[in-house]
Amino acid sequence: MKSIIVLNQVSKTYHLGGTEVHALHEIDLNIDPGEFVAVWGPSGSGKTTLMNLIGVIDEPSSGRLIFNGHDISGLSDNDKSELRNLSIGFVFQQFNLIPVLSALENVMLPLQIRGISPSEAKKTAMNRLDQVELSEFVTHRPDKLSGGQQQRVAIARALVTNPHLIIADEPTANLDSKTAMKVIGLMRKLNTSEGTTFIFSTHDQRLLDNVSRRIHLEDGRILEEHP
Amino acid sequence: MTAWVKIALRNLIKNRRRSLFTMLAIMLGFAAVNLFGGFTTYMYQANREGSIYSAFQGHLTIVRKGFFENDRTDPLRLLLTAQEMSEIRDVCRPISDVVLVTPQLRLNGLITDGKVSTIFIAQGYVPSSQEAFMKGTRLKLMEPFEGNRLEDDAEHGIGISRGLSRALNLKIGSEVVVMATTAEGQMNALDAEIFQLFDAPSAGMNDRFIRVPFRFAQQLYDTDGAHVMSVLLDKTVQTESVRNQLRNVFKQKNMDIEIKTWNELSEWYTRVKNMFDIIFLFLFIIVFIIVTMSVINTMSMAVLERTREIGTLRSLGLKRRGVLSLFAIESFLIGVGGIAGGGVINLLAWLGINYYKPLWAPPGITVKIPLQIIFTVEFLFYSIGFLLILCLVASLIPARRAANQNVVDALGHV
Repeated sequence: MKSIIVLNQVSKTYHLGGTEVHALHEIDLNIDPGEFVAVWGPSGSGKTTLMNLIGVIDEPSSGRLIFNGHDISGLSDNDKSELRNLSIGFVFQQFNLIPVLSALENVMLPLQIRGISPSEAKKTAMNRLDQVELSEFVTHRPDKLSGGQQQRVAIARALVTNPHLIIADEPTANLDSKTAMKVIGLMRKLNTSEGTTFIFSTHDQRLLDNVSRRIHLEDGRILEEHP
Repeated sequence: MTAWVKIALRNLIKNRRRSLFTMLAIMLGFAAVNLFGGFTTYMYQANREGSIYSAFQGHLTIVRKGFFENDRTDPLRLLLTAQEMSEIRDVCRPISDVVLVTPQLRLNGLITDGKVSTIFIAQGYVPSSQEAFMKGTRLKLMEPFEGNRLEDDAEHGIGISRGLSRALNLKIGSEVVVMATTAEGQMNALDAEIFQLFDAPSAGMNDRFIRVPFRFAQQLYDTDGAHVMSVLLDKTVQTESVRNQLRNVFKQKNMDIEIKTWNELSEWYTRVKNMFDIIFLFLFIIVFIIVTMSVINTMSMAVLERTREIGTLRSLGLKRRGVLSLFAIESFLIGVGGIAGGGVINLLAWLGINYYKPLWAPPGITVKIPLQIIFTVEFLFYSIGFLLILCLVASLIPARRAANQNVVDALGHV
């Protein structure tokens, strides 16, 4: 099976003032379609940097990153934006919903960025909100939704374009235990039913217990992988 | 409504106080520029109409070459002969834009009631031409006169300025003697009766200006010629083209004459226009700076507050130009709101002025005239277009910063 993500000797170095910070060291990693993967490790281990690179919102300092068979290093900013819109969904720790839009309008947004008509986008978004059991909250703005509801809206938004890959950065970090389990269950269900690839960065043991593959990162290096 | 307009509009409402202050700046700027623009348009029109119609100057003044050089050593040379006057009429007649061609004489001398005398400057014009001049003007700025009309066949009836009437204690019906040198330099005097009192075109002339029938002026100057042939046109905009037409014909006929347009002769109009143009420029620069700074400030605040939102939109696939558009739409909406508010202020001011009809005395004019604001569609469109473009351009500075932000940094912004 062709891997959806291939990282080949990928390193990332940041320059903070006069100091060089090596966030990732020569990472080699393959992720296949349909995987449910967690990247875990202590703070500062490079989890978020790795997620940013895989999500094509950051660029490696060296090495190659292949997304769906295409080397992303030669892509322009517009091409990367299109790639993200067409193939990648994001779920953020802070939910990152647009505060002035309703739940439905937030979910419609990636489709409208793509140029899909509002009526078609609305129909698709309603289906996704129904899937995450929020059809009664479509008109609610984010500030009128609970944390769990906001995260489910974010998941619906990430799924609405039928992406190949969903990247979730600490998706349960701001949720209580019960809600976190509900969100984890929902993502697992979507992974199984639709075959969408999920990659998480997390500290959450409950999430780690539910993934099919764990990548342990420390000091910018992959220490071990399970299985 | 697209998602982008929705986001922009709701963000403006969310930050309503800030949006309102920026709109207020645009609103006042738009109102100030348009009200002052409307006032200057009125001033220009008033001065133009005053020069062309109220002073019976017409759009074009045809004179013997050198007439305006003030060389009075050979007065006869400066006169247009009866034959030339007739030729000028014949040349003008076929031009459809010409409404009237009428002769005038410019004289000066002494006027006396038998006890006291003072100097005068006289305009000798054909009284029956007054109708055509008064019909042409749209701005009834001044009461033309008090008393009776001057008549072509009542040659002894003259009009004097109110300042002169006060100086000599003359009233309508008073009898005076008007003295002047003839074209050949002899002293001449004619009896006259005051038919009318009027306000001179400028304050400086109000104690010495008189108007006399053309035939009276010819008798006093002892000539059958004229100094000036005034040409009144259907529309002011035709002035230059008719002058060119006439110039070509006079050149072909080898006539020793020159043609001046109304604005070339109206130094007052040119000075007033230049002064108002400079004041308008200052006002315009102030509005420009206030609007630009307000929009930049508001948009910069919006970009700063919504950095994480920008990062989110970029990660969802919004391109840089999409971010630019988002803030441009927001700025455009602020502009539209400000212009709409400014439009309301303009309308209220216009209605107020038309209702109360305030009077004012412009510098150099002896009577109070109605204050008016004349809005022109062209000026309104230009100012709307300019302000909207200014809002868009001013928003580009913070919007570009937003669009060029690193997505990771934007997402991590707290």
